[in-house]
Amino acid sequence: MTRMGKFKWGWCLVLAGTVGGMPLCSRSSQTANPKPQVDLKAPGFQEFSDRVQKYVQLHKSMEATLPKLKSTNEPELIVAHERALGRKIREARFHAKRGDIFTPAATAAFRKAMAAEFQGPHATHAQATMKQGAPLKKVHLRVNQIYPDSVPYTSVPPTLLQNLPRLPEEVVYRAVSQDLVLLDAKTNLVLDFIVGVIPPGAGENQ
Amino acid sequence: MRIKRRVFLFGLTLLLATAPRAEDFKFPLKSNSVRFAAIGDMGTGETPEYETAQQMSEQRKVFPFDFVIALGDNIYGRHDAVDLEKKFASPYKSLLDGGVKFYASLGNHDDAGIERFYKPFNMNGSNYYSFKKGNVQFFALDSNYMNPKQMEWLQKELQGASGSDWKICFFHHPLYSSARKHGPATDLRLLLEPIFIKYGVNAVFSGHEHVYERILPQKGIYYFTEGSSGQLRAGDLDRSSITANGFDSDRAFMLVEIAGDEMYFETVSRTGKTVDSGVIHRQQAAAAAKP
Repeated sequence: MTRMGKFKWGWCLVLAGTVGGMPLCSRSSQTANPKPQVDLKAPGFQEFSDRVQKYVQLHKSMEATLPKLKSTNEPELIVAHERALGRKIREARFHAKRGDIFTPAATAAFRKAMAAEFQGPHATHAQATMKQGAPLKKVHLRVNQIYPDSVPYTSVPPTLLQNLPRLPEEVVYRAVSQDLVLLDAKTNLVLDFIVGVIPPGAGENQ
Repeated sequence: MRIKRRVFLFGLTLLLATAPRAEDFKFPLKSNSVRFAAIGDMGTGETPEYETAQQMSEQRKVFPFDFVIALGDNIYGRHDAVDLEKKFASPYKSLLDGGVKFYASLGNHDDAGIERFYKPFNMNGSNYYSFKKGNVQFFALDSNYMNPKQMEWLQKELQGASGSDWKICFFHHPLYSSARKHGPATDLRLLLEPIFIKYGVNAVFSGHEHVYERILPQKGIYYFTEGSSGQLRAGDLDRSSITANGFDSDRAFMLVEIAGDEMYFETVSRTGKTVDSGVIHRQQAAAAAKP
């Protein structure tokens, strides 16, 4: 360690002793869990949740036709299961198109909720999250296609997630550039998406 | 004024004289201590990952750690069976063969559908989970997707872990960071930090930034970023007022021993050089974890 490094280490101990040595009870909490700021009972969200539930029923019925997936040392089995499930779901909803789940009413409700997040008190933090892990290249989303596994995910701002309708474990929200995407959590199948719901600049590719 | 300066310099000298330094650092290797390694952003399948893994095996000869926490981006790019072999099973073969267990958390490059069922990652089909080793409770979180369900789970688990002396959380996105590329996940911090404080989390390990950084205690919690066990963003660390120490010129990993109320840590480069080390004392959690 360099002389400079030792010096900094000494300072670290001074601060650690004064700050880190404090009992946890004396620490102050800055922010409580944010309460939902949007009306999750809005008709658009209700319609969305109903459509999601219908999808989950389909997902479960397709999954029931496959051997139950358990933790394994053989990744071939996991990959095969994921692909088989994805194939079955795609075939079962070959007719799927944009707007099936994010209906016009649902889209309006989501746009309102997203606008509240990106213009609200957490806007700066939410935008910072979007810039943290945006896809490295443009992803061309298509309903019923698999999200490419070589493209990283962008975190959905956690404060935003607290303000959106809850999803069953089979389905997740994802943010891709300016779009909000609904993905199957087990197969990475794109179920539906809303274009341009995230403000420009927040989710720019990096 | 002169007296004050003398007192200050004496205090500083005393601290420097008694502080453990990298070249003096030794793990106590106490019986029943909890020993582990921490790696992040490693799954490239390229030579530096293999060399870093090899160095971990070398270090294990003198510091026999039992398990590894993986801080996300465990597998980059495609997730076919051949990728998991090349980017994980093969580089860490000697550790796996030696009985070392890996506990993975998910990064933005990971495929949850695949990795949570991959037995060597010990996720048991879940994106987030906890496990106990000795007097330490570990919480692996999915910082890609901090939804209300996970938040509720975390609070319940932390509350239920009041019997553990140490509570350690690990996940991909750092709440505090001085790296240039991404910076801190402040949105995530808004949600997690109050919970960490309330329930007495002692230390947090993250990755995502391809450097090593130790943060000065923030509201009493120790934060480490180790995202350079395979990837490296050389020169990306912009040391700030919260940086206690850092390393951004080569790959690295962490070794940790928790013995009683002390946590000993050493950060080792790919070439075996100690780039940081020290001891932290467990914070008291007198009023923590009240429902």
